[in-house]
Amino acid sequence: MRTVNRVATLLLAVALLAGGALAVAEGLLAALGGPGPLVHRWYATLTTTRWQDAPARAVAGGVTLLGLVVLVAELRRWRPARLRLAEDDRWHLHRRSMERRLARAVCAVPSVRRARVRLRRRGDVWRPRVTATADPAARADVEFALHRELDRLAAPRRGRIDVRLLPARRAT
Amino acid sequence: MSNAAHRLLWTVLALVFVAAGGTALAVGLGWLPGGGAPLLGAGPANWWRAGTPWSGLAVAVGGVLAALLGQRLLAAGLRVPGRLAGTLAHPGDGGGRTRVTTEVLTAALERDLCRAPGVRRARVVLTGPVSGPDVWVELRVDPYAGLGAARAHVDAAVRRFAATVGCQPAHLDVTALVDEPRP
Repeated sequence: MRTVNRVATLLLAVALLAGGALAVAEGLLAALGGPGPLVHRWYATLTTTRWQDAPARAVAGGVTLLGLVVLVAELRRWRPARLRLAEDDRWHLHRRSMERRLARAVCAVPSVRRARVRLRRRGDVWRPRVTATADPAARADVEFALHRELDRLAAPRRGRIDVRLLPARRAT
Repeated sequence: MSNAAHRLLWTVLALVFVAAGGTALAVGLGWLPGGGAPLLGAGPANWWRAGTPWSGLAVAVGGVLAALLGQRLLAAGLRVPGRLAGTLAHPGDGGGRTRVTTEVLTAALERDLCRAPGVRRARVVLTGPVSGPDVWVELRVDPYAGLGAARAHVDAAVRRFAATVGCQPAHLDVTALVDEPRP
C-alpha cells in the first residue's frame, strides 16, 4: 500500500502539472478574446447535460465508489514495515527483509523448492507462516530451520509456526 | 514525503471524492433538489462573461497555482529517501536558538557502528536538543550474521559516542535490515 500511495501521488502530481498548464493556456486564450477549443467544447457539454442524466450519474457513482475504496484502503490497519524485537526494546527488524531471510533459510532445507514466509506479531509473540513447495515429510526440518534462524536473530518469544507444505507438481 | 503524509493526503482526497460524488449522485437520483438543472448553471456562465477578460486571467492564475502544487508534489515524491540529515537545536540565552548540522558527528558514529560484526552499512540521524538528542540508527546487516554480537557493539558504540560528545541520548531507535546475499 505504501508503494501504491507513492505511485498515486506521483500520478496526481503529473496530472496537476498538466492540468495547470492547460488551464493557464486556456485562461490566457480566453482573456485575449479567443476562447480555446477545450473551453468551447466543455461549455457546450456542461450547459446541456443535467444532473439526472445517466452519464452524470455514472460519473458521480464512479467518483463515490473510488473514494470509498481509497478510504477503506487507507483506514484499514496496514502490516507494519518493521517489527519490534521485544515490547520494551528499542531494536526493530525490517519485516520484509526478515521474511526474505527466513525464506532463504527454509529454501536451504533439502526437498524444499520454493518458500514464502510471512511474519505477524501479536503482542510480544512472533507468528511466522511458511508456505513452501516441498515434500510433506520435510515439515520437521522446515520448523527446525526456522527456529534456528530466529534464534540467530535473537527474535523474541515466538508462537506456533504455521507451516503449509504444497507437494510439487510432477510432469506426467 | 513520509508514508504518513501520503496516507493523510489520500485519506483527505478520498473524503473529498466521497462527499462530492455522493452529493452529485444524490442530486442525480432526485434525493436532493436540482436534478433537472444543467451541470453548469446560468450563474457561473454569466459570471464568466461579465468578468472577461479578468475571469480568464483568474483561471490562468489558478492553473499556475495548480501546476506549482504539482511541481512541489513531484519534487517531494521523487526525492531519494535516506538523504535525511538531522539537526540538533541548542537554546540560546535569549529568544534565539542555534541549529547544529550533525553530519560530522554522525559520520564518526557510523564508522564506529560499521565495525560491529555483521554490519555492512550504518546510517545515523540525530535530532532534538544537543544535550539529549534522539538517535535514529539504521543498520544493514549481513544475511547470515547473528544479531547478538552486533547489538552489544551498537550499544557500546552509542555509549562511547554519548561520552565523547557529552550528551545523554533521550531516545535510541535501531532498525536492522537484513541485506541480500551477494551473488
